[in-house]
Amino acid sequence: MRVLVIDPDQVRAELVAEGLEGIEPLEVRHSALYDEAEVLAFAPDVVVIAAESPDRDTLDSLKESSHGHPVVMFVDRSEPGLAEQAVRAGVAAYVVDGLAPNRIRSILDVAMSRFALTRQLRSDLARAKADLESRKVVDRAKGLLMKERGLDEDGAYRLLRKLAMDRGKPIGVIAADLLAFAGVLKGDAS
Amino acid sequence: MSGLSDLRLGFIPLTDCAPLIAAQAQGFFEEEGLAVELVREASWATVRDKVAVGALDGAHMLAPMALATAAEDSRSAVLAPLALNRNGSAITVSTALFEALDGVTANLAGPPPSAARLQALIAERRARGDGPLTFAVVFPHSMHNYLLRYWLAQGGIDPDRDVRLVVIPPPRMVERMRAGEVDGFCVGAPWNAVAELEGVGRILAASSQLWPGGPDKVLGISGSLAGQKPDELRALLRAIIRGAAWADAPENREALIAHLAGPGRIEATPMAIARALEHELVFHRDAAGLPRREHGLWFLSQMIRWGQIDADRDLEAIVDQVYRPDLYRDAALSLGPVLEPTLVFPDAVEPVEARLFDGVMFDPAAARAYAERFAIGRSQN
Repeated sequence: MRVLVIDPDQVRAELVAEGLEGIEPLEVRHSALYDEAEVLAFAPDVVVIAAESPDRDTLDSLKESSHGHPVVMFVDRSEPGLAEQAVRAGVAAYVVDGLAPNRIRSILDVAMSRFALTRQLRSDLARAKADLESRKVVDRAKGLLMKERGLDEDGAYRLLRKLAMDRGKPIGVIAADLLAFAGVLKGDAS
Repeated sequence: MSGLSDLRLGFIPLTDCAPLIAAQAQGFFEEEGLAVELVREASWATVRDKVAVGALDGAHMLAPMALATAAEDSRSAVLAPLALNRNGSAITVSTALFEALDGVTANLAGPPPSAARLQALIAERRARGDGPLTFAVVFPHSMHNYLLRYWLAQGGIDPDRDVRLVVIPPPRMVERMRAGEVDGFCVGAPWNAVAELEGVGRILAASSQLWPGGPDKVLGISGSLAGQKPDELRALLRAIIRGAAWADAPENREALIAHLAGPGRIEATPMAIARALEHELVFHRDAAGLPRREHGLWFLSQMIRWGQIDADRDLEAIVDQVYRPDLYRDAALSLGPVLEPTLVFPDAVEPVEARLFDGVMFDPAAARAYAERFAIGRSQN
C-alpha cells in the first residue's frame, strides 16, 4: 500500500505510518506540499491531506479525472461538521486529529473502496447517458427514413441495422452519419 | 461580553478581499455592532465547506462556487448577498512562453491579444511531438476558469483537448510557474503582478480587457445567518459596503495597501498589491457591490458550455436561490443618508450589458442558447 501524506505537520505523517504498521508492503511518503511530479512518480493508492492545506483544491479538481486518488482529510476536532461536509463534497473519508492510530488503517480501506465505488457509478452513469443519446439519434434517423423512404418504423430500424452491419459500425454512429448527411443535403437544396 | 455579535469570516490571500480587510482595519464592523474575526483560509474547497456547515458565518468566495454549491445540492443554503469586486484577474504566461509567442504584445490599454498565435504555437509543438502546454486556474468553478477557457476557445484552442488545465491555489501559482510546471495561468490580483515583478511571467490580458467590469468574487454567507440573524447580516453588509467604498477611494490607497500587505494577510509586496488597485479593481462605485442576476446567469451558461451542469437545468431558480440583491439593496439603502455622497445607492439600478471582448452580447433571458452557440464547448442536450 502506498500512502502519500500532504501535511506541513511531520507528527501527523508519523501517526499515519504508525497506524499502518504491519501492512506489507507499505510505503508512506510525507510531503509538505503537493508536487505533481512526485505524485505521478509515486502513484499513491491513497492521499491523506490536512484540511488546512492549500493543495486541497488541486486534489479536489482531480477527483473526476483518470489520475485522481482517494483523498482522506485530516481535520481538527474544533470544527464540528466540517469533516462530514467535506465527505459530501467528494473527500472519500476523514481522520479527526487525535484519533487512535489503530483506526487509521480501516479508514484508509473505507476510503479506497468508496473511491472505487464512486468511480464505477460515475462511469456507469456516463455510459447510460451515452446510450440514451445514441437511442435519441437512432430514433431521429428512423423518423427521417420513415419520411423520406416511406418505410414503417420496423422497416426503418431494419435498414439502419443492415447499414450498420454492412459497414461494421455501431448503429448509433450510422444514425448520426445519416442525420449529418441529410443536413448537408438540405443545406445544398435551399 | 462586549455586547457585540461575534462573526467569523474567511478569506483567501487575494487583493479582492479588500472590502473585508478595510472594514476590519477602519473599525466599520465595530461601529455596526459586530466583533468580526477574519480567518485566512488555504483552499476554496475548505472555504465552501466551512460556510456550508456554519463553521464560518461568511467568506470571500468565488461567485461561481456559490452557484455550483446550489446547482449540486438544492438544499444548500449558501447565499451571495454582496459582490466583492469587479475586474482584477489576468491571464499570465511564463516568460519562456511569452518569448515563444514572438510578436504578441501585452498592451493592457487596448483590446486583449488573440489566442490565435498561441493556437499556431500549439500546432507547431504538436507537429514536433512536444507535450501539451499546461495552464492553471484556481478552481473549476471560477471566473478564472471561464475567462481562460473563453479566451483560448476564441483563438481556436480547445481547452480540454489542446492544453492541459490544472488547478493550483492562488498563492502557489508563481512558484509553480517558476518551477516550469505551468506555462500560463489565470488568477486574481496580486499574483499576476507578482509573477511579472519577479521576472517569472508576463501578463497577456487583464480581465478588464476580456470583460470590462466583469464579476468575480462575492461574499458567500451561510443560510443560517440570513435566516436566524437578519439584523447581524444587515450590519455585516453595511460594514462591508463601507469597507468597499473606503477601499475605492484613491486617497486611502496607500493605507489599504499597508493593510493588505500586513502579516497574516496577502504576503506579497506592496508594489505588487498596488498594481491592480490602481488600474483594475472596483469594489463599490457603479453599484459594483450589487450581486447581479445577469452575472449569475452568465456563470451558469459557462457551466453548461463546459459540461459542468446539464443544459436542461432551471438556471433562474439556481440564481434566485443564491444571489440576493434584495439583501444588498436593503443594507445599501439604509446606509445612504449616513455617508454622503459615496454611499448613495440609486433606487433602481439598470441591468448591465454583459459583453466580452469578442463583442457577443449575453442575453440573460437566453443563457442556454448562448452556452450552445460557441464552436468549442462540451454542452450536451
